[in-house]
Amino acid sequence: MENATVLPQSKQQPHQLNWHRLLPWLIPVALVGAWQFAVSAGWLDQQLIPSPLAVVQDGVALWQTGELPKNIAISLFRATVGFAIGGSIGFVLGLLNGLSKVARGLTDTTIQMLRNIPHLSLIPLVIIMLGIGESAKISLVSVGVMFPIYINTYSGIRNIDPELLEMGRTYGLTRRQLFSKIVFPGALPTILVGVRYALGVMWTTLIVAETISSNSGIGYMASNAQEFMDMATVLLCIVIYALLGKLSDIIAKTLESLCLDWQTKGGARA
Amino acid sequence: MTPLITLDRIGKQYGANTALHDVNFSIYPGEFVALVGMSGGGKSTILRLIAGLEAASAGNLSYAGGQAPVTRVMFQNDRLLPWMTAIQNVSFHARDADTQSRAKQTLAAVGLAAFANQYPNQLSGGQKQRLALARALMAQPELLLLDEPLGALDALTRRNMQDFIRQIVAEQHLTTLLITHDVEEAARMADRIIVIKNGSNVYEATGAKDGTAAQVATVAQDVLQVILQPSGQAV
Ligand SMILES: Nc1ncnc2c1ncn2[C@@H]1O[C@H](COP(=O)(O)OP(=O)(O)OP(=O)(O)O)[C@@H](O)[C@H]1O
Ligand SMILES: [Mg+2]
Repeated sequence: MENATVLPQSKQQPHQLNWHRLLPWLIPVALVGAWQFAVSAGWLDQQLIPSPLAVVQDGVALWQTGELPKNIAISLFRATVGFAIGGSIGFVLGLLNGLSKVARGLTDTTIQMLRNIPHLSLIPLVIIMLGIGESAKISLVSVGVMFPIYINTYSGIRNIDPELLEMGRTYGLTRRQLFSKIVFPGALPTILVGVRYALGVMWTTLIVAETISSNSGIGYMASNAQEFMDMATVLLCIVIYALLGKLSDIIAKTLESLCLDWQTKGGARA
Repeated sequence: MTPLITLDRIGKQYGANTALHDVNFSIYPGEFVALVGMSGGGKSTILRLIAGLEAASAGNLSYAGGQAPVTRVMFQNDRLLPWMTAIQNVSFHARDADTQSRAKQTLAAVGLAAFANQYPNQLSGGQKQRLALARALMAQPELLLLDEPLGALDALTRRNMQDFIRQIVAEQHLTTLLITHDVEEAARMADRIIVIKNGSNVYEATGAKDGTAAQVATVAQDVLQVILQPSGQAV
């Protein structure tokens, strides 16, 4: 979405382009540099706050024992499966309620009521019902992801410009064509906002679920390390979350630029 | 000649609000008719009834041969699909095999051949209106309905588009109904001008389509006077 305000690339000088590429990394690099410096200079207690280098070394060691890849893999698995299930349910419900008055009348009130329950408050319930196995964490992620996707799909469809629909009808489009040529592409920007938001919810939910009740995953690694006062591993886990968050962001941005190139081309928003 | 379309004592109510009462006129094949009048007079409502977007509350709308002609509407806002390129916008509704080549021809006809793969937000206001016109022409309509299609354009582009529409309409022998608040535009473009006032047609004048600037001005002046007369005293 932010891309919309950036000048079209053709108008930029080549050296400006490189500068813009580097700009986002300036603050992270400076922070890590300052941190390393503060530890090396002895301003920070190494026991309490290990240096970035120590965190990296810890990461390499854990990678070599196979513990780190195993936990990243299991967390990624939970996140992906939970997102796929919750996202699909939210999307289908959003489509149904956006398109059908009957479905809307039947389910919308219920959904609005459920939506206001913070999904993390379901953790005790889910643990009692499903234990601490995979289904517990996957269902928590699904529930968290479902609502942002549902709401954005629904409102994207409901907010389609009625004049465009009328235009489509005067050109004799069938209901199916109206959907594929006008309703869905028109709702897509809003749906993708939901996807981006849901990706954030996905990680938060997973972290909390894994920290509270799990015996594997990055969240488990962090809470386990906390018990042993292993600060390097705790920081490592936080860094991994930041990287995974960045990864989701890249996925969301790629989806947007693939699906919504009509918005960014020409600079102005339609 | 039998009229292509006839409005006979047409009325339209929106709840308690009377938008039209007693509208009577015909449009003949190949004719260019302009509807002019004050804002809120009922011009768009007449167009929407003819286009079949709404049903009349009273009266009778009849077509030659009993069947509605192929009709295309061009609205004041272009109503282009922002997620489709120019060429997709003109061909999105058609399924026939030669659509692509016809789409190219039509874009060329409105001078947008070089913009086929641009999105609407990469086009100027005038280009967008030409694209909307191309889309309407793609369907090879018998009846072209234009609701203030040039209202948002600057004076110069507007003049160009007026000539352009006239030329295309003449080439394709289209029957055309143009709504405009610009009496000079009506005088310059139409065979016949109908003044709509408070929900009915109150006056008709012959346009000065191929006339001199002075003739256009005379017709425009005449029509403007009728529009500005206090209601109730209309001819
Ligand atoms: N959908 C609607 N619901 C209620 N009233 C309507 C509706 N559409 C039009 N009207 C009323 O009908 C009357 C005629 O409206 P119409 O849009 O036909 O006027 P117009 O001559 O096209 O005006 P303008 O030049 O401003 O476009 C107005 O009083 C308007 O308020
Ligand atoms: Mg109008």
